Amino acid sequence: MYEEPYRWVEAVGNRRQYLNDQFKQGSPVVALTYEGGILLVTVSKGTPKLYEIYDRLALGGMGHPTDLERLRFSLLEMAHVEGFNRSPSDVTGSRLVKYGIAPVIKQAFEEVYKAPFIVRILVAELGLKPEKDALLTINYDGTFEEATGCAVLAATPTVQTKMLSYLKGQMSATLSLEQALDLGLRSWAIGSLAHQQDEEAQQAEANPPITRAGSSAEAIPSSDTLIAHVRGIAGERMIECAVLDRQAAGTSKYRSLKQAELSRLLPKALQSVVAN
Amino acid sequence: MGMQGDFFQLLKEQGYTLGVPTAVGAGYTLTNATTILAFKYRDGVLVAGDRRATAGNMVMYDRTDKVLEIDRHSVMAIAGVPATAYEMVRILEHSFKYYRRTQLQELSFDGKLRAVSKLLKDNVPAALAGTGAVVPVFAGYDMEQSAAKIYFYDILGAEFEGVEYAVSGSGSPTIRGILHYLNTWGEQPLNALLQEQAMVQALRLLASAAEFDSATGGVNREASLYPIIKLITGAGVQTVPDATLKPLYESQVVRYV
Repeated sequence: MYEEPYRWVEAVGNRRQYLNDQFKQGSPVVALTYEGGILLVTVSKGTPKLYEIYDRLALGGMGHPTDLERLRFSLLEMAHVEGFNRSPSDVTGSRLVKYGIAPVIKQAFEEVYKAPFIVRILVAELGLKPEKDALLTINYDGTFEEATGCAVLAATPTVQTKMLSYLKGQMSATLSLEQALDLGLRSWAIGSLAHQQDEEAQQAEANPPITRAGSSAEAIPSSDTLIAHVRGIAGERMIECAVLDRQAAGTSKYRSLKQAELSRLLPKALQSVVAN
Repeated sequence: MGMQGDFFQLLKEQGYTLGVPTAVGAGYTLTNATTILAFKYRDGVLVAGDRRATAGNMVMYDRTDKVLEIDRHSVMAIAGVPATAYEMVRILEHSFKYYRRTQLQELSFDGKLRAVSKLLKDNVPAALAGTGAVVPVFAGYDMEQSAAKIYFYDILGAEFEGVEYAVSGSGSPTIRGILHYLNTWGEQPLNALLQEQAMVQALRLLASAAEFDSATGGVNREASLYPIIKLITGAGVQTVPDATLKPLYESQVVRYV
């Protein structure tokens, strides 16, 4: 029945709507550069969302854990085979994304009689020089974007824009890891709060309308409010944090921050959350 | 899918073969002789190798690094055909990383040993044909057991634990006896040596090997060429810089008779 062009367009449209719904409960992912490399941060429910791909490549994801695993494995496989057959410096994030997984994700998305990948992916690449640092994001339909400085994954484009504009407003080239973590978490909170608001708005639509102050939702909450929001959620979840550290000894630059290091670096208001 | 996290298997699935058995052409001599050694000292394990690569009577190269770091806590010293040996090291390096990144845990020390055996086993036809024989020494620090370990292999892939020390290469018969003597009747057993004493012994052992084996390179002070010495402890692998070896060699190895 999808042979008819109209049906196919309709089916892809439905699929988009279905997929958009899948990310509503998801936790945003934030990546930003700091003076020593690239930081990735999110708050996860138990299954990790940040991974090491290659010597200078890290992965962050949103969506279905099994789909993320499948794509993670194909990235790992491609990266290591390429690194062995050519050289580690030929393994670049942009090649892996553009010629590796993006076409696979697009194909799965458009084959409407098969299941699509329920994922949004972020690939961070530590360049040999700081100006070569790159961040790539891929959507569930295979479209990808390249960015420098900072990139995020969130449920909707609106939320992503909100988070990015907050990040860009406060970024600087000389952020320490501690400052970057603070900023990353606040930006995560912006995304997470926006997810909550979207959900409330939807429920409000379903129920008889209550008077809502639409404009006040647009105001950016203070830093304290944002950190308090992280604190409220991190209690039952886990702050997950990884870095691509330019100064790391050896060839592998990826390091996930363990509890002790994390609680030392976190903003004061959050230190007790991790310690428990 | 990649449940096993086995990189070598992945390569094979893509059509890769490690050793292709080819008979050595008449009149062609392969590069293969050397001296490598490893012994346990107080803090961990020391692995050392000379730097000469030879083909028959010819010196191919005098800056070879035969003691290769595979990951933060393991080192493979190679004797045999360098082309195959370097390839094996590259496979191992990628295998350990691939396992860690796919399975989200470090490959155990025993798992690493098994990976070395498997490569050697796959390489048997090439080894017997004479073009790919590799006789490595694998040493590392087992983080789970907090212990330094040394293993050596024959060309067929049999694995032997060197409880105190292990040697390989054409110059090794000379120093094997010395190591036995030192460890049994020396002032102190090898595993009680301090780091500096261990380095001095390694330099002396390699100098002895070079004395009796033309395929083992000695120290060339004019060219500032010293052996490669690596120390593996709980903190990881550390390469001893020439600047440290030079004064040790001059004060405790050279004899002005």
